[in-house]
Amino acid sequence: MTDAERLAELRQLFLHAPESGAVRLVALLFALSLAAVVLALVRRRTLRAEYTPIWMAVAFGTLLVALNLDLLRWLTRALGAWTISATLFMLGEFFLVAICLNYAVRISQASGHIRDLAQEVALLRQRLERLEPNAQGLGEGEGAPASTR
Amino acid sequence: MVAAGVIVGLPAYNEAERLPAVLAAVARAAPGAEIAVVDDGSADGTGDAAARCGASVLRHPFNLGYGAALQTLYKYALRSGAELLVQLDADGQHDPTEIPRVAAPVASGECDLAIGSRFVEKSDYRMGPVKALGRQLFARLGRLAGVAVSDPTSGFQAMNRRVLALYCEPFFPPDYPDVDVLVAAARRGLRIREVPVRMRESTRASTLHGGTRDFYYVYKMLMSLWAESRR
Repeated sequence: MTDAERLAELRQLFLHAPESGAVRLVALLFALSLAAVVLALVRRRTLRAEYTPIWMAVAFGTLLVALNLDLLRWLTRALGAWTISATLFMLGEFFLVAICLNYAVRISQASGHIRDLAQEVALLRQRLERLEPNAQGLGEGEGAPASTR
Repeated sequence: MVAAGVIVGLPAYNEAERLPAVLAAVARAAPGAEIAVVDDGSADGTGDAAARCGASVLRHPFNLGYGAALQTLYKYALRSGAELLVQLDADGQHDPTEIPRVAAPVASGECDLAIGSRFVEKSDYRMGPVKALGRQLFARLGRLAGVAVSDPTSGFQAMNRRVLALYCEPFFPPDYPDVDVLVAAARRGLRIREVPVRMRESTRASTLHGGTRDFYYVYKMLMSLWAESRR
């Protein structure tokens, strides 16, 4: 038997390793917990509904995989990986990079909006102070936003 | 002599101590001009100090950064209908007596943007090694992009409304606007000229742009220049 054949056989062994009920249970619990946490955050208005699709999709995907591990096996074979865990790690990393990049874009946009608003506040306050000299104290009183520094 | 319709603007962050002297010197150097100070969220009463000196004060509700403070100034100048804005730093680094000299080429229509440069003529001004290296690098990059400016990091500038309109656009960086915005201006056909000026070293340990951020500054500038070249 050549080295390549031995490696192919070893890979098949990895791919056909009996699945653990514990792994399936953990994945199932993770999926259901994630969905429950997302719903709770939306109910408490801590998370806006428009940011939930991605997390519900992750919960649904994990649920699907937990119910049918063959899906993950098929993907592992298609990608040429050796173990299901390697595929999971790779998918997890891709997801994390994508989500970080997505939030970096959103933060960039939000920073621009915050800058525009703060500049507008400065310009309007200056105008107000010019129109009403007594309004000069505005900023130290209750009308002023708190410093974020 | 500086004519009416001119605003002399200073972005300031925690400069309450030095600002009154700088503003007094500005008022002597540019008697016909409005003086505007952008208080970039200072905690030491910089805005109040500026107001006591008779300046128009634009108070950021929190610290936004040097570039954002400059942009507030540009927006103010544009909305006020000013024909010309001269900007200088509030830390006393720039000599206010040079204001007419920096403003002159813009006022005469010779150029749209005048930059007060420490390096056009021989001077004894010294900057740190990282900054000096960065300045040389940006000057070279600027030349490659068609902007021949020896002191692209200078905050002593004069500009007309065409430049103000451009600098009020969202691309203007909130932290360190330097050769990248000059390249943007040049690519839009604005005429840039350097004017030799004297500058003092800032006596403060950490100025609005300096200190440990120098390396980030170099990196960010390269990214901005690349983005501008793709625009």
